[in-house]
Parts: sequence; C-alpha cells; structure tokens
Amino acid sequence: MKYHLPAAPVFRQERIGQNIYALTLGSREIAREAQPGQFVHLRCGKGADPLLRRPFSINAVQRETGAVTFWYQVVGKGTELLSRVRAGEYLDVIGPLGRGFQTELSGKKVGLIGGGMGIAPLIFLGRELAGKNQVQAFWGGRSKELLPQFTPSTAFSAELVTEDGSSGRQGLVTELLAEWLPRESFDLLCACGPRPMLAEVARLAREREIPLQVSLETVMACGVGACLGCTCKGAGPAEGQQFKVCQDGPVFWAAEVDWDE
Amino acid sequence: MSKVDLSVEIAGIKMKNPVMTASGTFSFGEAYTDFFPPAALGALVVKCVTLEPRAGNLAPRLVETPAGLLNSIGLENPGVDAVLAQFLPPLAQYDVPVIVNLAGNTLEEYGEVAAKLSTSAVVKGLEVNISCPNVREGGLAFGSQPEMAARVIRTVKANTDLPVIAKLSPNVTDIGAIAAAVEEAGADALSLINTLLGMAIDIHKRKPVLANVVGGLSGPAVKPVGVRMVWQVARQVRIPLIGMGGIMNVADALEYIMAGAAAVAVGTGQFVNPRCCLDLIAGLEDFCREQGVEKITELKGAAQV
Repeated sequence: MKYHLPAAPVFRQERIGQNIYALTLGSREIAREAQPGQFVHLRCGKGADPLLRRPFSINAVQRETGAVTFWYQVVGKGTELLSRVRAGEYLDVIGPLGRGFQTELSGKKVGLIGGGMGIAPLIFLGRELAGKNQVQAFWGGRSKELLPQFTPSTAFSAELVTEDGSSGRQGLVTELLAEWLPRESFDLLCACGPRPMLAEVARLAREREIPLQVSLETVMACGVGACLGCTCKGAGPAEGQQFKVCQDGPVFWAAEVDWDE
Repeated sequence: MSKVDLSVEIAGIKMKNPVMTASGTFSFGEAYTDFFPPAALGALVVKCVTLEPRAGNLAPRLVETPAGLLNSIGLENPGVDAVLAQFLPPLAQYDVPVIVNLAGNTLEEYGEVAAKLSTSAVVKGLEVNISCPNVREGGLAFGSQPEMAARVIRTVKANTDLPVIAKLSPNVTDIGAIAAAVEEAGADALSLINTLLGMAIDIHKRKPVLANVVGGLSGPAVKPVGVRMVWQVARQVRIPLIGMGGIMNVADALEYIMAGAAAVAVGTGQFVNPRCCLDLIAGLEDFCREQGVEKITELKGAAQV
C-alpha cells in the first residue's frame, strides 16, 4: 500500500556532512510498511518551481514512533529548499514506494557495497538482515567531508575507504570489495551508489557468479508507475524490456540491467 | 443545503463531475488506486494505445523545467491486443466511463485500432491522438494540417460507433482551423491542449538532455496557452471541449471552464499531488456552493469580455 501524507511532521533535520543532511519525518503508515530499498517521494517546496517531487531512499524507520529517516545531498533547487526545513514543520510525502531488496533470507553471508549517499538504504538493509545472516559492509566516499557522518551499526561490521584517505583507508570501495572477494564466499551482494561504481561491482559479481542486487537512481516524475518517465534498459533475462525504476525498482538484479546504457 | 450538480455530459458520455485524467498520466488506471477510487472521477482516460506494442523512447525521457515538465515517453504501450486482453477488463469493476486514447502510424492503423477498441464493453469513448510531439510518424504529423486531421477523424468515425474525441496540438499556427476541420469531419468533442514542443540542453555535455532531443512541455508553465486556446476554439466550434494543460488546483480548472471547457483533465498535476483529481472535485463543489451556483454547467464559458 502507498500512502500520501500531505502534512507529515518533521521530527529532526541534522547536517551530517558537507551539504549532506539526515531528515526524519513522522508517518506511522510508512514506518510500518517500509522495506529496505524502498523510497519516499517528497515535495520539497510549496510552489510550482521546483514542480516535481524528489525521491529519497529510506535510511531507517522506527516502527513504534513512526519515524522515517532519509539522507540527501543538496544538489539543486529542491534539496536546497528541503535543507531549510526545520523540526516542527510539515512535509508532503508519498511512500513507501518501489520494490526493495530481498530480505527473506537466513543463514546467508551478505556483502553490502555503498558509495557516498548510497550507504543510506544499505544501513536499513544491514540492520534488517543482521539478525539471521552474516553481514559485511563496504563503505566508500570521496573524502571525509563528502561522506555522511553516522554512528556505525553494532549489528554488522563495516570497512571504510575514501578516495583521498581522509577517513578510513585510501582507495575505492570497488577495490576494497575486490580484495575481499577471493577470501570470502558471499551468497549475495547488495549495492547502491554512483552508476560507474555499480557497473564495476556488477562486473566483479559476475566474475565470481555471486547474485547482486543494485539500487538505481534516476530522475522521476510520478514515482508510482504512471508516467513511464524513469526507464532503465533491461538485459540478459530482461532483454528488450524498459523497466520503470520507480515501480519495477529501484532495486534490480544486476544481471537484468543493461550496464552499457 | 442542496447538493451542487457537478454532472456533465460530453458527446453522450455521462460523467458524475467534469474531472478527467489526461491520457498518458494515469497508466491504465492502476497507479493511483491506493490514493482514491477511480469511480470518483468524471471519466478515466487511459494511456495511448497503438496497433503494435511500442517500446517508447530511450532514457532520459524527463526534464524538469521552471514550473514545467518536458517529457518524451514516445507512446510506450503494450499494443491494442494486449490492452484489450489484459488492461481494460479490470476497469469494468469501477463505476466510471473509460475513454481510450489511440494513435497510429498510418490512417489505416488509426481505423484498425479504433475498430478493435470498439469491441470492448469497457470502452465508452475514443480519444484520437493527432498531437503527440514525441513520435516520428503519426501523432503530430496528422494533427498539424486541417485536412489531414479531418481525414484521421473520418477514418476513426467510420470504424466505430463510440463517441470520438479529437485531441489537438498547440504546436500549430491556427488551432481554430484544425478544430473546425475535425468538427466538420464528425468529431464529437475536442481535448486541448496536448503538450507544447520544447527542448532543454545540458550545457556541460553540450548535448540535448532528452534522448529524443525534443519533448512535450506540460505543467503550470503551459496553462495560459491552454486557457487561451480553449477560449479561442470555444468561439469556433459547437462540440464540447475538454480543457487541459497545467491544471494543478481548482482555480486552474475553473479558468478552463470559464474559458469554455465543459470538462477538464489533469496530468502533470497528478504527479505532484496524487489526489489532485479528488481535490479538484471537492474544490469545484465548494466554489459553486460559495457562489450560489447550482449546476457546474452554468460556469461553462462564463468569462465574458
């Protein structure tokens, strides 16, 4: 079920990096039903410019309080407006939307690969999977400032790299993953981050025949499968298909995505 | 207090209220069922259907512009046979007239799709797309000249007994001439406007943003153009008009109605507010009550000079 809350209260807005924020709003409906990998679709302002909603992957939910948290980086008009919102104000939100990660797993060894803002949905996923599975996360960012600051989850272990070495080891998250793959046998990998990073993770996973789920990002209009605007080309078993990222995704099996698009 | 009569009749299609969905923005009716029941609508206009399945254009298909949205979907649809078999039957459960938008690459295809759709008990009207800016053949190519537009409408009329609505393009020199020509050809109503042809360029890549290069502009940015065209066409034809283009709230809908529209349709407004249609229906009722208007039809063409 998708819910539209024209006035969801803002519980908290925290700056967690250079131009990066964590916003928590209240919706018992969304908190109750959200699955890792799903997103909320938010109106950032009240006027006609920016016109469209903005999609944000859910980072955490508290089912008891109805708190729903997502991270975002200020990149344009919409997110700039959003960054000025204060606790106690209200936001117009739709959610939870899209198809999330597979979470019906137990006794599996799962690797999470997050780049920058892509870490957000994987924290939600890691917490969800950690009870019944062994979870190892790999987080990467460009620098300390451009990496969201967060308290590491105690539920699973994570290794961190930055491109300039200002936080954690120096390197790319894909290099870190490549080091680990020969000595750990993962049953499943889940990744979210910039497209070139995802393409490289897909290549590594294919080489070792490890199933990989990726969360993709696109420009969206409706967010609910009506406008057919947010397409992504299918490949392999989905050759010839034009997926709708908002409805068929944003989480896809990497083998179904055309990485050359 | 007595209830306001919001009902309208367009080309013999009886509607509870004058609020419809704009083709291509409401899928085949399923996308918004979590937000409101389709039966609340005056009419449900579903996505454009063609003879063969169409994959649509490559990504990117969307660009947001100031108070607007540029799209180049490219009439993606599963083709008329799949639509008849899978997508239309579920709509029988809703107490709402279903209108199907259709397009063809050739005159014959327009006729063939119309004939096939007319076999469905669910379909209560056909909206003929002679105005899509996002396909190379068909669409706008048929809608920019009065004689060609009239031939499409005559062909569709010859292949159906259903009411036929012609959807007009704003990308023409004289929309009044096209409107008059399709009325003469037998169109039972007109929908206007389709999107305005537009373009956006990525200055860093030095390339058009849309894979299709150009797209159709919708949203609040185009509303004044739509209102003007409804006003103009209302003075040139006798058949009812369905006004659309940038309707976000009840004031926008009333502008179209007062310009001469018998009904209105919402597209981009639904993307922004998934209950936009429902809000409009309530808003129209409130406005009529406040203004002492008993029937919404009293407001049609109410703007005078």
